[in-house]
Amino acid sequence: MTINELRADQLSKAFSALADPTRRAILARLLVSEATVSELVTPFELSQPTISQHLRVLEDAGFIERGRDAQRRPRKLVAIALKDVADWLEPFRRQWEGRFDNLDRHLARMSKKEKQHGASSRRHQGRG
Amino acid sequence: MARAVADTKVVVDRDTHTIVLVRMFAAPCEQVFEAWTRPEHVACWWDPAGQPLAECEIDLRPGGAFRFVNRHSSGAHQFAGVYREIAPPHYLVFEAMGTVGRIVLEQTDGKTRLSVRIECGSAAKLEQFLKMGIDAGTAKTLDNLVAYVSAMRR
Repeated sequence: MTINELRADQLSKAFSALADPTRRAILARLLVSEATVSELVTPFELSQPTISQHLRVLEDAGFIERGRDAQRRPRKLVAIALKDVADWLEPFRRQWEGRFDNLDRHLARMSKKEKQHGASSRRHQGRG
Repeated sequence: MARAVADTKVVVDRDTHTIVLVRMFAAPCEQVFEAWTRPEHVACWWDPAGQPLAECEIDLRPGGAFRFVNRHSSGAHQFAGVYREIAPPHYLVFEAMGTVGRIVLEQTDGKTRLSVRIECGSAAKLEQFLKMGIDAGTAKTLDNLVAYVSAMRR
């Protein structure tokens, strides 16, 4: 594997980890402060194994690490990993989001026009 | 808007070096396909900032070329390529910027699930494409992601 391939591999893991809304919410929570597994169970109303599974994915993607306190084992954010993905993915996603929002509005205008002209075009072209 | 942010899903498939974007639209497939393949429609929505395209040319046949040009005060940005497969209203394949783009439209209950697959072929090309695909001046960093994940929470 080249450096580039390794980097792309790590980015893919990061993107997959971010694809899940619960994991994004966990990251958002950890942006505020570090938290233990049990501290995460309560607000998310998920079982401990489910939270632990999400944490494993986030850890594997390099987003979070375990704090120094061996007994509580709080999870905390790895800021640099977030920055990496933000640099790569977020502007790209935003660009397409803007495009899709425009398309959404444009489709609504198309439907409206079709309804307005529907009756006459059906008469002339035999289609609606 | 928080809701809009949640709408577009982006996934990277590391085995195929493919970027996949998925979005639902409240319109039938035929209409979404038309919006992707007729210049008078594409010109209205392609620019992410919402400005109508300065130029939009579409030769909709296999081997036919397309060219979308947006002009901002910061400069012009062109997206150009060649159509490979056209199967209305569900499937459109094109080559652009050294990648293969596959548009797949699936209809359920009058709504359309649109997926855009950008196949880069190699990790290096994927990296290059992500860099090229982003308009200059829009590169954002941690602050944006913080805003983004915060919006997801609401």
